[in-house]
Amino acid sequence: MNIDQIKKEFPIFDEKIQNNDLVYLDSANSSQKPKIVVDRINEFYTKQFSNVGRSVHYLAVAATNLYENTRTSVQKYINAKHKNEIVFTKGATEALNLVANTLGQSYLQEGDEVLITELEHHSNYVPWHFLRKSKNIKINFAEINEEGEITLEEIEKKITPKTKLISITHLSNVTGAILPVKEITQLAHSKGIIVVVDGCQGAPHLKLDMQELDCDFYAISCHKMYGPTGLGVLYGKKKWLEELPPYQGGGGMINEVKKDRISYGELPNKYEAGTMATAQVIAFDKSIKFLESIGIENVMKHEADLVEYGQELLQKNNSVKLIGNPKNKGGVLSFIIEGVHPHDIATILDEDGVAIRAGHHCCQILHDKLNIPASARASVGIYNTKEDLDQLNESINNCKKIFDL
Amino acid sequence: MNLKELYQEIILEHGKNPRNLRKTEGFNKDAKGNNPLCGDNIHVYLKLNGQKIVEDASFEGSGCAISMASASIMTDLIKGKNEHEAKEIVEDFLGMIKENPELKSKYLSEDEKTKLMCLSGVKQYPMRVKCATLSWHTMVSAFDEEMEEVKTEN
Ligand SMILES: Cc1ncc(COP(=O)(O)O)c(C=O)c1O
Repeated sequence: MNIDQIKKEFPIFDEKIQNNDLVYLDSANSSQKPKIVVDRINEFYTKQFSNVGRSVHYLAVAATNLYENTRTSVQKYINAKHKNEIVFTKGATEALNLVANTLGQSYLQEGDEVLITELEHHSNYVPWHFLRKSKNIKINFAEINEEGEITLEEIEKKITPKTKLISITHLSNVTGAILPVKEITQLAHSKGIIVVVDGCQGAPHLKLDMQELDCDFYAISCHKMYGPTGLGVLYGKKKWLEELPPYQGGGGMINEVKKDRISYGELPNKYEAGTMATAQVIAFDKSIKFLESIGIENVMKHEADLVEYGQELLQKNNSVKLIGNPKNKGGVLSFIIEGVHPHDIATILDEDGVAIRAGHHCCQILHDKLNIPASARASVGIYNTKEDLDQLNESINNCKKIFDL
Repeated sequence: MNLKELYQEIILEHGKNPRNLRKTEGFNKDAKGNNPLCGDNIHVYLKLNGQKIVEDASFEGSGCAISMASASIMTDLIKGKNEHEAKEIVEDFLGMIKENPELKSKYLSEDEKTKLMCLSGVKQYPMRVKCATLSWHTMVSAFDEEMEEVKTEN
């Protein structure tokens, strides 16, 4: 696999960012886009545009087919059993809200418990909090260990007879910990508990096999997966998506509408009310093709090498303290520098063209637990090289110099 | 404008060793501010005397060098001013941080102006402007005794 070649497929790296070559280390936030994805959006709007699923004219039919092609590609990519288990949303956030809302309407009862973890992104906490308010459900938190991991044992310890649902991240966007989702699911199912997975960080970086994982729901963020913004995927087991009520009402999701009654459409239309992010869905097919052309095993190998290399570099850099040290770790390096606030780090690194994120990364619970207000985070994607991490380290040294450390 | 100009000695000095980073004993005005995007938070305390003059100002909280330095310099120079003067200085500072080339308030000494102008570098970093202004907005709400926590929006 030739990373230089792969990097050339991303037009952004031809740009000078404030006179610097871009060292993009913010892929956990959002990935850059390969040219084929950008071109596909352009091509669809210039040559093929029509709304989908509404009209019978040529363009509408062609656009509908393209739209549905992506659904099939996603199904294959994540090895879902049925095509109708793939629902497009506006992002992973909406996917998780859809699950919480519909389960809240029809399945979870007052007093039921939902188990999440201290690693969760706000989008896998706040939707459950809504149910805490509206339905009086209780939220429990599985706690991280010293290494910033969530173990199967910890999950087991936190399950009570009232636990109805477990909602967990596949890969932490702060510590990088990869959770034992398959084992957690087996355990949960043996007790009749539903499993929801926030797959935002898992989907771009790990091999996905829904039938093997066996979770009930899996949320994906397409913009982190070399795809367009404004798009997410919700995988849900067919029996759940059939059983649960619709989320939003409007055009496209109905079967029959009368003054005194309404019946809803079949899957997947039932969950895709209104005009969807058509161009994004169609272009996302190219993101999947892009990932397939490299091969997820190669992606995983490359990113694992990068993380190991980056981790060693930063561990050797005194005054840098890495957050979490999980055995099973994805491409995220979160750190603090004693004496320099993460925002100052990010501004100083930016001056060298090194793009990282600073803040709590939408994980305030975790930062509270670690007793830090914020952290700096470098995260990798397929286009990153060891030179990028060398530059990160060098810019960190520059930052230390400015702060006289 | 470059980083050196932003992270000048005075900012680093105040950022690392902020003045008045404590809680004023017997304060009679206070307010909290936070920056939801970054997780920065600050609590400003004021003690006004019978003539409504700031006898003491202090703050607690955590944040970047810019926000700490800004709060440090602010709490230093606000001492001895009355509410009207303080608010005019806030207006002047916010104007400068956003667009005005210089500070105009007659209530600021040349030395105070020089110190505040050290923060003018953040103009070049739009995402950081809110770091510099958080403590100032929070002080205004302390004066006004608004119960709502201040949230920055540049
Ligand atoms: C772990 C995790 N969950 C959820 C989200 C939200 O995803 P989206 O931007 O697609 O709504 C993110 C991205 O910020 C994330 O990193």
